[in-house]
Amino acid sequence: MSAPSEVGIYIFTICLLVTVLTYALVKYLWNQPLQNGPGYFLGIEVPAGFYEGAGRRWMTGYHATLAVFYLVWAVALGAIVLTRRWDMTPLWAGGFAILLVPAMLGFEAWARHKLGADPPVRPVALALESRRLSDYISWPAEALAVALVGFSWWLLLRHGGKHFDWLTPLTLSWGALGLIPGKMAMVRVSWPLPAERAEEHYRFQDAARRYWIRVSGIFFEWFMVVVLLSGALIHALSPMRPAPMWRWLALASCFAVWGYGMIAMFRGQQQLKAMGGDLRPPGSWKTPFGRSSCFGRGRAFQIWFAIWFGGILAFIVYPLCKARF
Amino acid sequence: MFLTLQDNDKRPIYQQITDGIKDLIARGELREGMTLPSVRQVAGDLGVNLNTVAVAYRQLQDEGFVTVRHGAGAVISSRSPHPVNQAELYKPLHTALTELVLRGLSGREIVEAVREQLAQLQQKGATR
Repeated sequence: MSAPSEVGIYIFTICLLVTVLTYALVKYLWNQPLQNGPGYFLGIEVPAGFYEGAGRRWMTGYHATLAVFYLVWAVALGAIVLTRRWDMTPLWAGGFAILLVPAMLGFEAWARHKLGADPPVRPVALALESRRLSDYISWPAEALAVALVGFSWWLLLRHGGKHFDWLTPLTLSWGALGLIPGKMAMVRVSWPLPAERAEEHYRFQDAARRYWIRVSGIFFEWFMVVVLLSGALIHALSPMRPAPMWRWLALASCFAVWGYGMIAMFRGQQQLKAMGGDLRPPGSWKTPFGRSSCFGRGRAFQIWFAIWFGGILAFIVYPLCKARF
Repeated sequence: MFLTLQDNDKRPIYQQITDGIKDLIARGELREGMTLPSVRQVAGDLGVNLNTVAVAYRQLQDEGFVTVRHGAGAVISSRSPHPVNQAELYKPLHTALTELVLRGLSGREIVEAVREQLAQLQQKGATR
């Protein structure tokens, strides 16, 4: 058995991502604004007949934003294939995810600013159940993630050498460990509960909270931990010329975590749709008592996201700037 | 378990929270040893200032309905809070009865209303 070739891995990754992201576009993203029915646009309450008038422009704007992203993504892929710069694949794949999520959140915030009357929910219900961090976050699992990152760094520091690219493990560690405070912030995120069907709204919000913590944990914590650990192990073992099986194993581990994340994401979306299909979407109202943040996301979450995401962007942009100047 | 709060209620928000929690304790829905959510969580969920919730919890603590334990949050105390003298205990009842008399209800109607409210309270408590 020969070791997996680098180009082979990149081509496999490209094929996998093209398939999955095309499926996501067709199945979920394209009609995302209508997920709560014709009375809403991206979860924002809109007047009757909206889609016969201004709604058409909004839908066109939404589709155009998505199309531009996918087009840029396709053009970048074409450039990689034509120039055979396969080493650009991680930047192509990561760049898409890193730019699409904030762009879509930005579009939603803009739409909410322009369209959202966000009438206050009257009367409002208050759940008297404590949300403890340990109900949502497994501390032994978090400790394991920290230990694996620490072990990876121990291996890298012992075998790194002068010409080692430290930026990649640094980015992966920042992404993985930075998500732990992010999960804690997600536990605090909530929307005001309407008194009518309060129990159902509460259960839906709780399921959504658990979904986001789980999915982000798989993709941004465990995937990055496994990639970091695999890379560190292979790097540490390389002077001993390890059997190709180890490289295959490392590769399979990374794809297994990623695949598990995709399954969790698609299944979670379906479950949430089944749970909250006939409920008013949480972001379509505000608290009657004045102070209410956009999207219902807490301030702690917003601060954490700005720091965490800003850090990842800085790690990506820094080498590009360094190479240019 | 939920409390319902109205923005057009004449009572301040902290008072609505205090009264709502007392009501749940009286019905037996909130039992001794149960933990209330943290001040931060309640303030975040309702979109109100932390102090508003802190005042409500402090009032409940002062009246002996909750015990604030460091690290464990506010825990419901037994249903027999601090002993108070009879005159103090009956003061709210006297105020409510005065209101009903002034609104023109007869003695029989008032007794009937009190019986009905009490039965509702005990029924809800018994079903838990």
